[in-house]
Amino acid sequence: MILNEQSIAEIREKMVKYPRRKSAILPALTVAYRQIGHLNEDLYGEISKIIEIPVVEIAEAASFYTMFPKHPVGKYLIQVCHNISCALLGADGLVRYLEKKLEIRKGETTPDNLFTLITVECLGSCSTAPMMQINDRYYENLTREKVDTILDELRKQA
Amino acid sequence: MEKRVLFKHIDDPEQVTVKGYVSNGGYRAWEKALKSMKPADVIDEVKRSGLRGRGGAGFPAGLKWSFVPKGSPRPSYLICNADESEPGTCKDRELMECDPHGVIEGIAIAAYAIGSHISFIYIRGEFGGPIRAMERAIEEAYAKGYLGRNIFGSGYDLELIAHTGGGAYICGEETALLNSLEGERGMSRIRPPFPAVEGLYACPTVVNNVETLSTVPHIINNGAAWYTSMGTEKSPGTKIFSLSGHVNKPANYELELGTPLSYLINDLGGGISGGHRLKAIIPGGSSTPFLLPGQIETPLDYESLTEAGSMLGSGGVIVVHDKTCIVWVIERLIHFYRHESCGKCTPCREGTGWLEQLISRIERGEGTPGDLEKIDSICDNIMGRTICPLGDAAVMPIQSTLRLFRDEWQYHIDHKSCLVKSEFEFA
Amino acid sequence: MSSKNGDKVTLTIDGREVTVPKGITVLEAARSIGIDIPTFCWHPKLKSVGACRICYVEIAKMPKLAVSCATEVMPGMVVHTESEKVRQGRRAVLEFILLNHPLDCPTCDKGGECDLQDHTFAHGIDDSRFDFAKYRFIRDKKSTFDDFRLGPEIIRNQNRCILCYKCVRANKEVFGEYDIGAFQRGNSTEIDAAPGQEIDSIYSGNLVEICPVGALTNTDWRYKIRVWKTQTANSVCQFCADGCNLMLWKDRDRIYRATSRCNDGIDEGWICDRGRYGYQVTDAGGRLTTPLIKRGERQEPATWDEAVALIARRFKEIKDKKGGVCIGGLVYPGLDSASLYAFSKLFRTVLSSNNVDFRTDYKMLPEKKDDLYTLMTLQKFSIADIEKADLVLVIGSDLINEHPITNLRVRKAVTRNGAKLYTLNPFATKSGDISVDEMIHEVGTIEALINGICISIIEQKLAPSGPDTSRFTAMIEPNRLEDASRLSGIEDKRIISLAKALGAANNISLITGELLTTAIARENIAAAILNLAILAGIPGQGQIGFLSKYANSKGAERLGVMPHLDSRKISRLKDLWGEYPEHEGMGADRLILSAKKEEIDSILVIGCDPLSCYPDGQFVREGIEKLDFLVVADLFETRTTQAADVVLPLSSVAESAGSFVNLEGKVQQFDRAIKPIGQTLPGYEICNLIASELKGPLYDSMKALQEETVKLLEAGDTPELDPVFHEVKLAVEKPDGDYNVPLYVVDQLHHFGHLTEKSQSLSAFCNEARLEISPSLAERLHATNGTLIRIESEVGKVILPVFISENVDNEVALVYRNFSATPVNVLQMRKRRVDYVKLTRVEEK
Ligand SMILES: Cc1cc2nc3c(=O)[nH]c(=O)nc-3n(C[C@H](O)[C@H](O)[C@H](O)COP(=O)(O)O)c2cc1C
Ligand code: SF4
Ligand code: FES
Repeated sequence: MILNEQSIAEIREKMVKYPRRKSAILPALTVAYRQIGHLNEDLYGEISKIIEIPVVEIAEAASFYTMFPKHPVGKYLIQVCHNISCALLGADGLVRYLEKKLEIRKGETTPDNLFTLITVECLGSCSTAPMMQINDRYYENLTREKVDTILDELRKQA
Repeated sequence: MEKRVLFKHIDDPEQVTVKGYVSNGGYRAWEKALKSMKPADVIDEVKRSGLRGRGGAGFPAGLKWSFVPKGSPRPSYLICNADESEPGTCKDRELMECDPHGVIEGIAIAAYAIGSHISFIYIRGEFGGPIRAMERAIEEAYAKGYLGRNIFGSGYDLELIAHTGGGAYICGEETALLNSLEGERGMSRIRPPFPAVEGLYACPTVVNNVETLSTVPHIINNGAAWYTSMGTEKSPGTKIFSLSGHVNKPANYELELGTPLSYLINDLGGGISGGHRLKAIIPGGSSTPFLLPGQIETPLDYESLTEAGSMLGSGGVIVVHDKTCIVWVIERLIHFYRHESCGKCTPCREGTGWLEQLISRIERGEGTPGDLEKIDSICDNIMGRTICPLGDAAVMPIQSTLRLFRDEWQYHIDHKSCLVKSEFEFA
Repeated sequence: MSSKNGDKVTLTIDGREVTVPKGITVLEAARSIGIDIPTFCWHPKLKSVGACRICYVEIAKMPKLAVSCATEVMPGMVVHTESEKVRQGRRAVLEFILLNHPLDCPTCDKGGECDLQDHTFAHGIDDSRFDFAKYRFIRDKKSTFDDFRLGPEIIRNQNRCILCYKCVRANKEVFGEYDIGAFQRGNSTEIDAAPGQEIDSIYSGNLVEICPVGALTNTDWRYKIRVWKTQTANSVCQFCADGCNLMLWKDRDRIYRATSRCNDGIDEGWICDRGRYGYQVTDAGGRLTTPLIKRGERQEPATWDEAVALIARRFKEIKDKKGGVCIGGLVYPGLDSASLYAFSKLFRTVLSSNNVDFRTDYKMLPEKKDDLYTLMTLQKFSIADIEKADLVLVIGSDLINEHPITNLRVRKAVTRNGAKLYTLNPFATKSGDISVDEMIHEVGTIEALINGICISIIEQKLAPSGPDTSRFTAMIEPNRLEDASRLSGIEDKRIISLAKALGAANNISLITGELLTTAIARENIAAAILNLAILAGIPGQGQIGFLSKYANSKGAERLGVMPHLDSRKISRLKDLWGEYPEHEGMGADRLILSAKKEEIDSILVIGCDPLSCYPDGQFVREGIEKLDFLVVADLFETRTTQAADVVLPLSSVAESAGSFVNLEGKVQQFDRAIKPIGQTLPGYEICNLIASELKGPLYDSMKALQEETVKLLEAGDTPELDPVFHEVKLAVEKPDGDYNVPLYVVDQLHHFGHLTEKSQSLSAFCNEARLEISPSLAERLHATNGTLIRIESEVGKVILPVFISENVDNEVALVYRNFSATPVNVLQMRKRRVDYVKLTRVEEK
């Protein structure tokens, strides 16, 4: 098993809340993603066993939702919103700035496996653009200076 | 002037706690509804308030609730749509993060009105902060007996389940949301049957936006007449507008409906940023047709915006200054809609892909004569021909710019470059 | 203009007023008056999803085009199906679909029968405004044409897929299978097998058949022939008793594929892979093509004249010397009715012998006619009526294995119409996934369990008012709920709740199958089932379905191809023939026993292989070896043909016209698709040749034979079920020491009987006998898939590789009987109700 006991317990707990078991697919994927940082077929198999839903249904659903990476990513997944409100305030420049600072290109992971940089669609942070999400935290009204500090801090924490 | 109803206590850091919320007058409406009103009375009051859905379509909330069949042997469900993903819109996030109990109270009253004992809030999966805030608030509400069994000793039971999404704009569309909540892929469903008759698990279901539901407690507390005293006759009350893009003070502002757009952009928003001039406004989230500077006095209400050729939508006002290439803007948008199309119906799935290819080649300076006509006709073949309105949402802004900024499009094709070089850097 | 009378709706379509049932779609209404609207994603047996948008129509007062497949008819609607707006809308949809669709029709197997090709043609689209390179999905770089294998028979070409989702929908909605799915989203959506799985369900071929384009094809048909070069022949499936209707696609004398020929009463347009790929048996290599006569140790080719003369001479000798009672006949119940009838007539009128039987792979049969069993099997039953049930009770059947298409009707009753399903079996089956309660009882205790249910129906006061229940419990054993519960291993509260459900149900379909009816004690079991049926109030509100096993078991029964017939049937035959042998006939089991005792001299076998299939292989061998003269007709060499003095080449079903009687008793005709291969002959001709040589022809003309056969078949009785109860005796056997794992000899999911192993496609799913066991038993044996296990019973042993099944979940051993390399009948004991075996791992050296 890849899922740890806590995750399994959490999935079980969610499963019983819903009028139908199948509704627990997305919550279960979320739990698995939180533990592992990405999703894969082994996890679908494990979830399938726990919630007793055919594995194809888990995999079909998982592949539909783009929030969950399907391959391993760095410790910090940097997701820059490149949709219109952010783009109007320089999101493309922000991506270039991050590419330069991290010495990777969009879609890549730093060699130390610390950062993965991707762009995503509108994150509902339009009035505080430009912004990025790192794991499940939002960083808004970004400037070069702020980005520097954020990255430094994350490096320190790691 | 800002008119703060939903945002009345938005700056109070204690509002997120049940204690703070109650001391600011929270949960009184819930108690009032349960203790002194029948479900039909609640529906009636909301009907009379004229409250219209804030999720985009503007459908009268009370009317929607009244469609739930009475005395059906099947359970009914109330779902709060908190999947907010429309580019330009960020109001529900703020409501959930800063006033989660307001959302819960609204859900509870609506659930009671339609006789639902299990309700859901479908929160966008990326919304870490709001998810935490809502989950904490739900826990508190259970602990205080505002949710759970025998609420206020009335004998009424209500469960509220927070369900989080997985990154799919389409799951904000109500039928896709239902599929997603059922554990299916988040693909839209044909209507009829409408959710009010056959929704979640094929049972009667009402889906309402966060802001819509957050308004309900205020209507119950203060009465329909109070609500209709604000706004316009057909668009009563207040609405939160998310102001973003090229303005000096982007933020969420709550205004009476009918307030002129200029007041939002200039008086509250501090005018166009960087000393530039206004070029275009997308008034209702990225799915709505563009407005021109000359339309800046348009009142922000459902009817006036429709008359002006656009829509109020979700209230995401995106401001674009004159150093912005419109083709570039549209490329961003079509990329989004192509990426978010669920892939169920042909016109949306294939059409958005084709449009993205055409538009990005024009943006790259590789457009060919006839491309604009082609784009227009592809849009015609999508508009009104898809299962859910995502197709319409994708093409409305495109077609409006083909009309309003034709020269800029044409220039792109003729000169293989922008008429207006976009000027904005990351500072 | 509009009128609405009751449940009818009147509307106008293309200027024609039409009145149709309420609730149907505009599409169905249009089709009902011959107006064809194109569709891709719509399927008559699936829920509408309105995805492809090709079925647009214009409806007056509606601003937008409407999808007719998902728009319900309304009174007074005015519909246009061919207006300019409609045609423009459809052209737009086709343009969208064709954007990335390869125009590889010349090499696409769907060419000529492709909905996309047809609709594009009909809408005159000859050019595209799309000037980008088409997107190409390539998964497996090694393959050509972007083909990708999804299972033994399924090839996917994602480029051609138009995302109608019919494959995925049918698989889940109708088949209850979960081996295919749609992945990713938007225009990246892809159809693929479930992670780590292959598409190998018994229904997989249907996915290919309903794919509107060439996205899913099967290896069976691909690149062999263009469809427009073929002709079709109507056929009926021979690989179980459901009687699905098939279409055989042939050119000259070769068959290229089988597809469904939709019969809503039976198959609703679905067929299982056995039926789809089983036709390959006909032109599989190795068919017997000439008669063979044993000379010394060798069987040598001979002419029909020689062979028939020899047979006639030997039969005559035996008959003259000892009487026709010393000759017996065993015949395969998958032969056409005329052949079965001719077989019986040959024995009874020419050889004067009643020793005929079609039940060649059943456990020891009673040596008299079985009344209650027959009463049960003759009950009126319809597959389509299962849909009307609000409760379906399956007793003793692994439905999906034994009757894949009846299984679908049960699924439909449950998943679509909300019927409750209860299953009573000695091991878990696939039906468990939709059962309210899957009762897995101790092996060989089914009567006890049924008695328990009967007792609780009475105790709960749920019995119907008519029958007198006061003496009921005195007639049955066990007669206390607690004993029934203890013996069967099913807790009493489950039994009570089933009794309650039966009491509350208004329409019950009680279905019993092979696991009971081919077993010893079947009279006793039938008695218990009939008692239950009466107590559950089935007469009048429901039906009892006995699911006979072979394609023509029902026909064989009706035609009397058994030693013991009831007096009505005997007098009918006497009337027809003017004679009927007087002596008591022998059934299959006694025939072989008598052969062993040298009381029988000769046996004629047509179409079956007792040496490999009949329970207790050693016993059969000893019997057969003692025979003076053995004649065997079959399609292929078998153990039994090898032992024969004369071997006759038999035609396959596709090679001669005929009829089968399905499990409902429906007589269904099928056409001859191709002319017989080599010198093969159908069964009735073989019988006729022998008869002619001995006495005179059995029939004057084919027509006369058909008429006689049909007359007998149509005289099928469906007796009423009287409200009387029957005695049930207890006959529970206990396992013996070391031999303690119950054994079931079953068909592998993709096989049926001894012929299907010759089908290449079916062999691609499974080509060897295996030991199918539960994961827990496998664990106990330290076995994984493929581990060799020695299976020993008191009378024989075989070594088989393990197949771990997620379905089976208790300690039973299932072994496949379909493979000639491993005759598993050696494990069976003819006098034991349950065969118990010992399993041990074969240690690798
Ligand atoms: C593509 C698409 C996305 C949508 N996203 C949202 C959303 O994120 N939040 C929302 O409340 N409504 C969204 N809607 C509207 C919903 O379908 C639905 O109309 C709304 O939730 C009803 O609530 P209301 O009546 O309170 O507005 C979306 C609609 C479409 C077509
Ligand atoms: S593979 Fe065929 S049946 Fe399946 S979705 Fe694609 S086109 Fe439809
Ligand atoms: S057939 Fe009607 S939408 Fe596909």
